[in-house]
Amino acid sequence: MTTHARALLAASALLALAAPPAGAGEIAIEAQAGYFQMAASNSASALFGSSGGGTFGGAVRYTFWRGAFVSAGARTFSKEGERVFVTGVSGPVQKLGFPLSIRLTPIFATVGYRFRNGKTIVPYAAVGGSITSYKEESDVAGEAFDDDRSKAGFLGAAGVEVGRGTFRFGAEAGYSAVPDALGLGGISKVYGDDDLGGTYVIGKLIVAF
Amino acid sequence: MRIPAAAAAVLALLGAPSALSPAHSQDVVRAVRVARGAATAGAWREGQVIVAFRAATEPREIERALREAGGRDARRSRSASRFLVTLDPGASVPEAVERLARMPEVAYAEPNGLVRRTQAATLKPDDRYYRYQWNFDQMNAERTWGIQKGKTSVAVAVLDSGVAYEDYTDPRTGQSFRKAPDWGSTSFLPGYDFVNGDAHPNDDEYHGTHVASTIAEATNNGIGVAGLAFGCAIMPVKVLDQDGEGTFFDVAEGIDYAVEYSEGGTKPVKVVNLSLGSEGFSQTVKNAIDRAFSGGVLVVAAAGNSGKGVVEFPANQPNVLAVGALDARKERASYSNTGADLDFVAPGGNCDRDDNVDGLGDCVFQQMPDPDFVEIGRHDQFCYCGLDGTSMATPHVAAAAALLFSQGFTDPAAVRASLEQTAQRLGGAPAEGRNDTYGFGLVRPAAALPGLGLNVGPKP
Repeated sequence: MTTHARALLAASALLALAAPPAGAGEIAIEAQAGYFQMAASNSASALFGSSGGGTFGGAVRYTFWRGAFVSAGARTFSKEGERVFVTGVSGPVQKLGFPLSIRLTPIFATVGYRFRNGKTIVPYAAVGGSITSYKEESDVAGEAFDDDRSKAGFLGAAGVEVGRGTFRFGAEAGYSAVPDALGLGGISKVYGDDDLGGTYVIGKLIVAF
Repeated sequence: MRIPAAAAAVLALLGAPSALSPAHSQDVVRAVRVARGAATAGAWREGQVIVAFRAATEPREIERALREAGGRDARRSRSASRFLVTLDPGASVPEAVERLARMPEVAYAEPNGLVRRTQAATLKPDDRYYRYQWNFDQMNAERTWGIQKGKTSVAVAVLDSGVAYEDYTDPRTGQSFRKAPDWGSTSFLPGYDFVNGDAHPNDDEYHGTHVASTIAEATNNGIGVAGLAFGCAIMPVKVLDQDGEGTFFDVAEGIDYAVEYSEGGTKPVKVVNLSLGSEGFSQTVKNAIDRAFSGGVLVVAAAGNSGKGVVEFPANQPNVLAVGALDARKERASYSNTGADLDFVAPGGNCDRDDNVDGLGDCVFQQMPDPDFVEIGRHDQFCYCGLDGTSMATPHVAAAAALLFSQGFTDPAAVRASLEQTAQRLGGAPAEGRNDTYGFGLVRPAAALPGLGLNVGPKP
């Protein structure tokens, strides 16, 4: 770690500990980055070689009464692979070499509760709904095989926030479900995968006002 | 060793010619090759930048800004205050865009990105008599070739009367064989003649050459006609004699030979074409077919030409794709057998009809030894002749399977399933089912080749 990085970390820690605790009316902005694991793991593994990957996004949180808060944000997740053919769940995956990419962008809104609001370490839990934009793009010798749709879903999350000042850190794990978004065709239909959601673990950098 | 004649069921040759119609048209077919639609996202024309200036910007300021950004020349749009700027040699496009974007008089600047047409790639070959191949139009061959033409690493073994694949004089009989004229760069694997017991499976009839040509006759070379999987290799295996007859023993031997053939540690034969059949049954042949299937090789066989409601052997076996014939109207050819074991249909033709009104009977036209010369014992003259039969339909499906193997399929069960799912249902067959007249329907390799995306399946 460089001297500058150490100094920045120390300054952040001081700010986090010295600033006033979060209270009602607090607004916080979060930058989020972490790992997302698709629920449609069989389909994703066949197409992309794995069913998880990096995700990033951001959110705005407003704590309006004691520990109760509302939050809204968006994250994005993308994978690149190739088109395949399978006869069934147990059949071998036939890789066909045509490039394929997907992008998921869930926009979510949650309500939650911060259990030790105002303390240095604040656990919290939240539930909410989402609208997930799904884009699938593939080109087979000049012919597009694309899908573009949005689907409603729901999510639940739990996490912990560390710090009491302007700058804080957090970690969150959650599960999102976007039923009936897949399984309309393609390999997800063969495998019976219909959920575009999944589980995620993210780290947060929080700026509170 | 041959089995006793009494026990040997005779394999009847399917698809005897009902018309032989050399094509003599002088018309030239124009070749149109459409570029493959390679993605160009993020690509731009080197040395060029598009820049637009704010409305009130003076010409002198524009000139200065362009010069500062490294512009050597600028072309003004006729309809707006934007310029196509040619940069000094070696100037970086991203840096020029960044410099321009920072200038207060510039509304925006961007690279001169590339676009492409979104038309699906096709290949219309220039083979002289291609226009008579209604059968390939029925198979959507031009789009298929836009996706996959076949790879030499994938071979189809043609178990038939042999193939006119080499110039050769048989030292025992003195018979001279010539290579057919339109093989071009088609690859041949070392085959075997199980009828005469030698390594020269030349065609002393014409049926096998015609069948092999449907699969891999040289294409887009200006002569003759086309083959559906013209990039794939052919393994000639002779199991039928000059009268078009053979034995179960030789067929089983031929299948085993093709399946076990190895080159550099790999087994190139992925498909076995059997344009032959019998009303009998052979455990020997069935075992060979089952071994082939479990060894990763797909066997495709003709349903039979008697017009009966039963599929002949070995097409009726579970590990074989049984193929019936369509005429040019995309209806079951009157001679084509039907039944519960029928899997697919493909163009087999009907030489007695001219439904496509091209002046010739609706046969399947390919190169083959000229029957008039074969009749007098000569095997050095060739024609582009028409035959019909389920024998002619079968190599269309074998070629389609070979194209799927070329694309990356490795499992014969997957090839079969893909062809089933993407076949065009005919005769009122349910969308996810079959009927006894057309099986799963007309094989569509162009629909099968793209495979599956996450949420997007084959196109209807």
